[in-house]
Amino acid sequence: MINLIATAASYQQVKALLAAGADTIYLGEDQFGLRLPHSFKPEALAQVVKLVHRAGKKVTVAVNALMHNDRINLVGDYLKFLSKLKVDHIMVGDPGVVYILHQLKLPLAYIYDSEVLMTSARQINFWAQQGASGAVLAREIPYAELVQLAPELRIPAEVQVYGATCIHQSGRPLVHNYFDFVKQHQNRSDRKRGLFISAPHKPQTHYSIYEDINGTHIFANNDLNLITKLAQLQALGLNDWKLDGLFADEAGFVKIVSQFAQAKKALLTDQWSSELAATLSEQVNAHQPANRGLDTGFYTIEPSEVR
Amino acid sequence: MRTIKNKPEILAPAGTLEKLKVAINYGADAVYIGGEAYGLRSRAGNFSFDQMKQGVAYANAHHAKIYVAANIVAHEGDVAGAGAFFRKLRDIGISAVIVSDPSLIEIAITQAPGLPVHLSTQASTTNYAALNFWQQVGLERVVLAREVGIAEIKEMRRHTNVQLEAFIHGAMCIGYSGRCVLSNHLSLRDANRGGCAQNCRWKYDLFEMPHPGVKQSQLKNGEAFSMSAVDLAMIQHIPDLVEAGVNSFKIEGRMKSIHYVSTVANVYRQAVDSYCADPDHYVLKPEWVDELWKVAQREMSTGFYYGTPTADDELFGKRRKRPHYSFVGEVLGYDEQRHLAIIQQRNNFGVGDQIEFYGPHFTHSQQKVTRLWDRDNDILYRAPDAMMICKVPVTHPVKAGDMIRKQRV
Repeated sequence: MINLIATAASYQQVKALLAAGADTIYLGEDQFGLRLPHSFKPEALAQVVKLVHRAGKKVTVAVNALMHNDRINLVGDYLKFLSKLKVDHIMVGDPGVVYILHQLKLPLAYIYDSEVLMTSARQINFWAQQGASGAVLAREIPYAELVQLAPELRIPAEVQVYGATCIHQSGRPLVHNYFDFVKQHQNRSDRKRGLFISAPHKPQTHYSIYEDINGTHIFANNDLNLITKLAQLQALGLNDWKLDGLFADEAGFVKIVSQFAQAKKALLTDQWSSELAATLSEQVNAHQPANRGLDTGFYTIEPSEVR
Repeated sequence: MRTIKNKPEILAPAGTLEKLKVAINYGADAVYIGGEAYGLRSRAGNFSFDQMKQGVAYANAHHAKIYVAANIVAHEGDVAGAGAFFRKLRDIGISAVIVSDPSLIEIAITQAPGLPVHLSTQASTTNYAALNFWQQVGLERVVLAREVGIAEIKEMRRHTNVQLEAFIHGAMCIGYSGRCVLSNHLSLRDANRGGCAQNCRWKYDLFEMPHPGVKQSQLKNGEAFSMSAVDLAMIQHIPDLVEAGVNSFKIEGRMKSIHYVSTVANVYRQAVDSYCADPDHYVLKPEWVDELWKVAQREMSTGFYYGTPTADDELFGKRRKRPHYSFVGEVLGYDEQRHLAIIQQRNNFGVGDQIEFYGPHFTHSQQKVTRLWDRDNDILYRAPDAMMICKVPVTHPVKAGDMIRKQRV
């Protein structure tokens, strides 16, 4: 079964995402989760969980921050709260959370995601041994490696098929520090500010950068769009497809999710074709924010190209 | 009189067998090296099994330990042969392996029982629950993330008895180590498999883009946006690190020179011994700090130990002034009768130069080069050839293994 996982930016958007064909809604709050389109306070989160469960769909809550002691001291209560809400999964990215989950013996399934570090089946199977019911694959794995990796997996692994790819997380306020140095005080550095950096001698590049309570985050030059590659993923049995709407506008992201839902339907009914894939990809492009590009990231790169 | 019983270990980098010996001679309790596979410093000069054996023999004779870094994050197929590799390390007598990828941890624990495993800083361990997790998996020690503060380490210590290792000196990643693939995306070089191109230290344009293609640059005062951390130096805070319960003080730099390794190990050896012998009357010696500046490559700061780093902890603007020393050579022997130092040259020096001898246990002597001979006792004015042997009259006795530097003018 193909599982379309979509991030949530608001209660209203969740309604639209479910209508558009999302199977799993991914959300959380910045205190415990990383790089979310919206930080849902507990009451708001509870409402979304109810809404999604009424629709017979699933919820994954992000608890994947790199936690220092101060957050670890609070995360136990948060996990109890999520367990009471009967969320379907939590997303974890710090072994400390796994430890606390085991200690509390909560009936809470977890998916492991240390992002760029999730690069092999054997590593994912380590987390399976530690009780994980799923994992998320790093965006830096080329297709040629996915072919080798997929048959070895003991638990399902999500593949990001749309959206921004984080390529750096710093504990330092890097933008703020720069503004301080050049004496541009009271200058915003949050996500809504829309800052980019370009590499030396490559003025056309545009890596998003912003700061929040989890530090400074930098993203790949273009967002991912793997809609033309879905048949390959399906053939490998990699059927958990994540769409990250972090930088998409709310309505546009719903439209993008519906393109992937159409793709899913076509794949399940043998209606898939390269023409359809191309049409759907154009539609994804049409709803993509104008100042953000799309590409297939590392998917089509030959493993030997990476030194 | 109070003394510190559990004196922390000083752990120094060793890119080569020569550096390994120098680090141990200059006070390191342990050194970490790279093997020919699975390490993150593919260009650091890595050890063959045979060189490891020689290193272990030397370390054993000096009551020191050797750890091997195998801290790549493996992709599919990369871990083939890792079990045999770890068993070989164990059988050679390596004291522990430093790993970050859970797949390699699992292989080390299950396929090389008896080989202690340390978690690399690349795994970004920032809380006590994670420490307990890894201890339960079977790890002996965790190298903490560089983002952890002294107060946090104290709190960790209350919740865990796993060994804690922390960086005290050297270059730092600007991001959470491991959680950075700038190099993969900007240079097609895998940061977590030894290919890091240090893209963080590049000069970037920072801009808004309200409309596609319309960039509004935020650069001000001619200063580009960069993400370059100054180096870490905890020499002024040894008491805090000891009292927080850190078991191993780690010095960064498997790519650095013997001048660097000998100097830094020497300084921290003095400070740690001095503090642990009599913590209540400990005084930081200014000459320790001065000594570290002689091999500094960047300005220095305390990183995250006392709070979130500010702009002062990054390399912006013009470099502040610091003394530059170059490495002159190593003393091979001392002729007591004629008061001659026998020297192997590493950089050009000659008659008229003011040079400084330094040795283990923080011995120093200043010397003006008045005369110079080659190994056949022919008179020289300069010693220009790399590794050439020469002789210099000295007013203070020196020992084989002492090093020589001079200030650049």
